[in-house]
Amino acid sequence: MNTLALLAGRRAVSGDRSAIGLLMLVALVLLLVLAIFTSIVVGPTGVGLPHLLDYLSGNAAALDSQNLLILEAVRLPRTAIGLLIGAALGVSGAMMQGLFRNPLADPGIVGVTSGAALAAVTAIVLGPTLLFPLQSVLGEQFLPLMAFLGGLANTFLLYAIATRHGQTSTTALILSGIAIAAMTGAATGLLIFMADDRALRDITFWSLGSLSGASTSKILAILPFVGFVMLIIPFVAKGLDALVLGDAAAFHMGVPVQRLKRLTILAVAAACGATVAVAGSIGFVGIIVPHLLRLAIGPSHRFLLPTSALGGASLLLFADSIARTIVAPAELPIGIITAILGAPVFLMLLLGRNGRSSMEGL
Amino acid sequence: MIRAREISIIRSGRALVDRVSLDLTPGRFTVVIGPNGAGKSTLLKAISGELKPDHGEVLYNDRRLTALSPIELAAERAVLPQSTALSFPFTALEVVRMGAVAHGSLEPGLAARQALTRVGLGGFEARSYNALSGGEQQRVQLARVLAQMPSPVSNGKPCAIYLDEPTASLDIGHQISVLELARDFARAGGIVLAILHDLNLAAEFADHLAILHKGRLVCEGRPENTIDDTIIREVYGISGTVGRLPAAHIPYVLPQSRQSAQR
Amino acid sequence: MRSVPLHRRLVLSLACALVIAPQATLAQSADAKRIVAIGGTVTEIIYALGEGDRIVAVDTTSSYPAEATQKPNIGYVRQVSAEGVLSQKPDLIIAEAGAGPVDAMNILKASGLTLISIPSPPDTSAIPAKIRAVGEAIGRKDKADELALKVEATLKATAEKTASTTTKKKVLFALSLANGRVMAGGSQSSADAIIRLAGGENAVSSVSGYKPLTDEAVIAAAPDVVLVMSGGAMQMTAEQAFALPALASSPAARNKAFVTMDGLYLLGLGPRAAEAAAELHGKLYPEATKP
Repeated sequence: MNTLALLAGRRAVSGDRSAIGLLMLVALVLLLVLAIFTSIVVGPTGVGLPHLLDYLSGNAAALDSQNLLILEAVRLPRTAIGLLIGAALGVSGAMMQGLFRNPLADPGIVGVTSGAALAAVTAIVLGPTLLFPLQSVLGEQFLPLMAFLGGLANTFLLYAIATRHGQTSTTALILSGIAIAAMTGAATGLLIFMADDRALRDITFWSLGSLSGASTSKILAILPFVGFVMLIIPFVAKGLDALVLGDAAAFHMGVPVQRLKRLTILAVAAACGATVAVAGSIGFVGIIVPHLLRLAIGPSHRFLLPTSALGGASLLLFADSIARTIVAPAELPIGIITAILGAPVFLMLLLGRNGRSSMEGL
Repeated sequence: MIRAREISIIRSGRALVDRVSLDLTPGRFTVVIGPNGAGKSTLLKAISGELKPDHGEVLYNDRRLTALSPIELAAERAVLPQSTALSFPFTALEVVRMGAVAHGSLEPGLAARQALTRVGLGGFEARSYNALSGGEQQRVQLARVLAQMPSPVSNGKPCAIYLDEPTASLDIGHQISVLELARDFARAGGIVLAILHDLNLAAEFADHLAILHKGRLVCEGRPENTIDDTIIREVYGISGTVGRLPAAHIPYVLPQSRQSAQR
Repeated sequence: MRSVPLHRRLVLSLACALVIAPQATLAQSADAKRIVAIGGTVTEIIYALGEGDRIVAVDTTSSYPAEATQKPNIGYVRQVSAEGVLSQKPDLIIAEAGAGPVDAMNILKASGLTLISIPSPPDTSAIPAKIRAVGEAIGRKDKADELALKVEATLKATAEKTASTTTKKKVLFALSLANGRVMAGGSQSSADAIIRLAGGENAVSSVSGYKPLTDEAVIAAAPDVVLVMSGGAMQMTAEQAFALPALASSPAARNKAFVTMDGLYLLGLGPRAAEAAAELHGKLYPEATKP
């Protein structure tokens, strides 16, 4: 209690919110550890703490083959992929909000989600017919690969449209983004309209998102992209802060604005494209997590970016634990859970006193 | 020494800046005046590197501006913008801190606090920037500029600050203190370039005055050698205003006549 | 010589079991006491063989008999939860072909459990084979043969009866009429199979499977009867259906010929298929069945 008051008092005087940023970072690391633990030991089969301890202590032989399978083929991969995806979504949301100077931006704003969705729906609807040769060659990798490439392609298109004379205008990005989203939405709608019953069901489930397909190969596939967006955090934090003062002011303070925009957009598109490819579209994490954290620790990206990653990972892991147990033995798509968890909390905070002050200047 | 040589900026066939050459000398407070649309801000953007001129070049100590990276430029000059609204609720300290970080300061928080005190905003550190008045916000931005350029001369090299209408939202008292700060910066060997709209303040503070009209540099020199009825009539379209008192029933306020004003 | 450690031996014997003996697999499954049934028809057949008590969990499409809906539910047939299935501690999984998703099926296969897939072509002649396959899987080969023969007989009888219909009515099966769009059962669909067995003609032969049709295609099909599934949130009344531009001008609309039947009953192509066809026949040709 005293420490907090001291820190709060210090904060009130100094105006520098590093102390609380650091505190939040530590708190979220602990929360993540809890989330990881929960994700591994919670589930409909009753594989739990004792099994985990046996497994970790090298005593895997003590586990019967089915429990071992559940641990190794279901719990651990889902936890790993949930961690990576949640972190990617959280930090991407924060980066896009900083880049666009708008707390309502989400990673999809660069076109990656609508492009990935279009590509995924194309794969589902045309896979058994027009694109059958491709599908038979690639097998299970067909849908994820299409989604990933679709997301990237759409982002490149958007970027190309919004960049003139080497300058990427954020306003142009937003406006072009709306136009492109309308186009991809129309194309997706057309495909849905043409879809047969089987495809419709598959599309529905894909668009609600799920971590159920987690496997080591998928984890390894998305790891470089998620790793990349994490690695650039220290390089872009300073620039994103400065960008809030405007492109010109950031430039005057030594930020290579165009390079920053390119790097951030590329990293976010790759990370989100990869996550959408393996897990379908999972919403809310990219908007809610950074916004909540901003209310708590302020908008400085030094702490906002890493805490958004940690927060996103924790949220997704808890959401997945709920998704796997709430209607057991069936499973709820995770997109539903993130929406149910996120939206009311978001609203409550926006309408509360803290929330109003966060909307100053909007 | 910062030199702008034959700068032209043309948009839609119109020359916003028309073959303007201006030298910014260390130790000298250079002021640019002119009516709206004369090209003052555009010229400043060209000199600061924000805009690439269509003709001509800008040299920083004989190095072409285009050859300098953003980081190198940030070490040469800092720019005070006209006004900024922020989309995120940074505190005053956090805004100023960015300038200190741009400078490469090892203790950016501390440097930021000092800069805020210099502009008379000590105690404002934790206030939300967006909740401040226009004038206070302007002074926070000035503190940021000072945090980016704390010393007028660094390692023997003069540093530059460019101020784009720094007095716009300020009351007379604060206008004076900001300009005095800038003048001290110049006196100590720094390079100062300011765009002012107030002719009286320009007349008092400028060591070197440049008058722009329709993108062209029509006149430059010391204020007493440049400001006269002819040029004011030509550029602003009003006559008989220089050095004359108004009619008896109209009170006049001459900030430049204030007590303890020095030249 | 060192003895082989216990866990190594277990792994080896597991490997042998999986690799060496497919027949042995079936033999193992024959006594399965905890069956997970995925697919409405599979569940129905197991109950028809009197072995419903051996089922521990079903999927959402298993709606018949009513007792089946009381069992724990592992999700939609194409989106089952692998861990959910395993949490029921099954010793046998019987799944309709097309169950998924692929990742979940792979995990279930990797778990060493017996997973038997039952082919389900959209053809009434395949029904006896389906019954036999399920029966063999649960060790009730003889009973299944009995049921299969009975079903075969009733199918034959129904076919003969309905074959006598001289003017076949054109039937349009609409899987969904949501948003005014007709998702019709074309050739190679279970709807097509049932319609033909019931002595009707599928109004839609230009597409295969369940596909959406343009309004013009529906008008060109000129169905005499519109057939839909009952129940569900998107239940449309006859008035609503015939108000749609696609159907408003059809002969079916003129005669107000709108038939609803339970989905699994009608399309499941299971033990009740012959009954369903007969009932449909009665609804299509009410005059013919008048006493």
